[in-house]
Amino acid sequence: MSDYKINILHIYPDLLNLYGDKGNIECLRKRLEWRGIDATVSSCTMENPKIDFQDADIILLGGGLDRELSIVLDRLKEKAEELKSFVESGGTMLAICGGYQILGKQCFIGENRTEGLGILDIVTVKNADNHRFIGDAVIECDGIPKLVVGFENHSEKTNIGKYTPFGKVIKGFGNDGTSGFEGVLYKNLIGTYLHGPLLPKNPKVCDKILENALKNKYPDFKELAPLEDGVEELANEYMLKRMQ
Amino acid sequence: MRLLLAVWAAKLSAVLGQLLGKKSSSTPGSIALRICPDIIRKLKSKIKNEVIVVCGTNGKTTTNNLLATALEKGGANVVCNRLGANMLSGVATSFALGCNWFGRLRADYACLEVDEAYTAKVFKHIKPDIVVVTNLFRDQLDRYGEMDALMDIMKKAFETADHPTLILNGDDPVSSGFGRDYKGEVRYFGISEKVLDEQESAQDGKFCSNCGAEQKYNYRHYSQLGDYYCPSCGNKRPKIDFEASCVDLTDGIGFLVNGEKIHLNYKGFYNIYNVLATFAGIKTIGKDTKSFADSLALYKPQIGRMQQFDLGKPFILNLAKNPAGFNQAIQTVAQDTRKKDVIIAVNDMPSDGTDVSWLWDVDFEKIADSSLNRLIVSGMRRYDLALRFKYSGVRVDVITEDMKSFLDSCSLSDAEVCYVLVNYTMLFSTENILKELEAEKEKNKNV
Repeated sequence: MSDYKINILHIYPDLLNLYGDKGNIECLRKRLEWRGIDATVSSCTMENPKIDFQDADIILLGGGLDRELSIVLDRLKEKAEELKSFVESGGTMLAICGGYQILGKQCFIGENRTEGLGILDIVTVKNADNHRFIGDAVIECDGIPKLVVGFENHSEKTNIGKYTPFGKVIKGFGNDGTSGFEGVLYKNLIGTYLHGPLLPKNPKVCDKILENALKNKYPDFKELAPLEDGVEELANEYMLKRMQ
Repeated sequence: MRLLLAVWAAKLSAVLGQLLGKKSSSTPGSIALRICPDIIRKLKSKIKNEVIVVCGTNGKTTTNNLLATALEKGGANVVCNRLGANMLSGVATSFALGCNWFGRLRADYACLEVDEAYTAKVFKHIKPDIVVVTNLFRDQLDRYGEMDALMDIMKKAFETADHPTLILNGDDPVSSGFGRDYKGEVRYFGISEKVLDEQESAQDGKFCSNCGAEQKYNYRHYSQLGDYYCPSCGNKRPKIDFEASCVDLTDGIGFLVNGEKIHLNYKGFYNIYNVLATFAGIKTIGKDTKSFADSLALYKPQIGRMQQFDLGKPFILNLAKNPAGFNQAIQTVAQDTRKKDVIIAVNDMPSDGTDVSWLWDVDFEKIADSSLNRLIVSGMRRYDLALRFKYSGVRVDVITEDMKSFLDSCSLSDAEVCYVLVNYTMLFSTENILKELEAEKEKNKNV
């Protein structure tokens, strides 16, 4: 029995399962367990749509196809206030691609401009002639000692206004193909276009998320024990080499 | 004259390619197209009977080749892109190489495998009479964008071709949607009984392709294939014209289709669909299917379709390119209770898809049962595979770039059988290594 316990909440994995987000969940879970910290994963689904933000320490909101994403957006709108206060009070959250876009004030689903959840004051618009930003990406993130690698695939641009970006684009398109920035960072929320999935090949990002969650829940929490990350690093380095 | 030049250039390029030991079946065609851009249109008029196109995510090479083999068995000459080069240049190759040196083509049928995303492009050159769609699974999102975009391309292609007869998989709620309100003729094939117990998670077809409401199943075979219905709008699995029943998987694959008995010597539940689609094709052309059952015995699976090699013990090579394909392969491996080594190799070249996040949607952990001896990962994305297993708690024994020495080492291990699962650009090199090793073992045996 560990002194610490982290509850991970996966939002509609049955609908938002486009980019191997299972990998992000397993990465969060295993990297807690390997350190002797208890981890539980729960999810809200079409069959069991109850969401308990109170009990969640880390929320994962993935990406999905248009139809699925619009269902999730509709359902989450009823919960937007709760989700907002979760984020405002320092709750840890990772939102990927479509999940990142719907957090904003406005977003696009397919061809339709629609109102987002309004958790963040950001706006996503469609690219001219539906141009897609597709390919491997590398970004540099503050406080992460390694370059972060991923794959992006979006035909929308996100304007994050005055927020801090998640990282600086070294290779790839990032939020909009021109600003040179990728994703968004707000309190303990990370929004990003990067999948691949993101966390297994970027274990330092995973650990950052875990540390944020542990510190938020247990103010006395010091730091995570180091893990052996040989394979993770090799997979990360392969991507960097590939893009040279 | 241009046509003749194009045929010669293609033929020379094919001979050269063979001398160099290359198996590219698209280069001769792309040369021919450069010399004579309308070579396919010109040669199409020489096809005496139907032009049949096979497309769909999985099973198109097997289905197309089965169909060509069956027609040839009946004495017909068939133009066919057997090696699976399935874009415009691959189709051009099969036509150019089908000609004699005088540029004349004598063929009764054309059986063409066409990449579903290239149907619109290819159909501008050749209008098929019949199109078989094997299924549509999620595959290579980096190439296609989204599934709906792909379906729009295909719908436009069917219009371009003046509504050819469609042969559709009635068990697939996604691709059978093409049949709804279709202006041409439609026929469906399907498996009309529950066969498999276990199901992996379906990712596509969760929602009705007609109204978007959540869809239900009476039973599901694998992925989104099964007896589906929509409680909201009433859309459901269509009436099946060619249906498999009495399926028996104990020795190869046996089943009845419209009362005729079929038996195949190779593995893989999904092959039932390939045979059904072929059967439907033959019937739709109006040919007798009596000799079809015999031709199945003659059919040699294409490279990498549960292809067997003898390295002192059986090595089984299988191609898988997407979650549905890998999950089916893994299920077949898991059904084999012999002590086994398993090698999985994944590359990320453009024709494989450069985004490998789908590896996390494959139920790889099911490979780790009590009969697993050693697990080896290889290919350019070997570290991604290693991570995939690490985070699902399965021990990988070896991570290697060197397929050859590990295939060789597996021939000496305690295992009784070795499965080699690879994606597209790993396939030909792995087959070559296995052939070499097989020849070496044979030679040593004779010494």
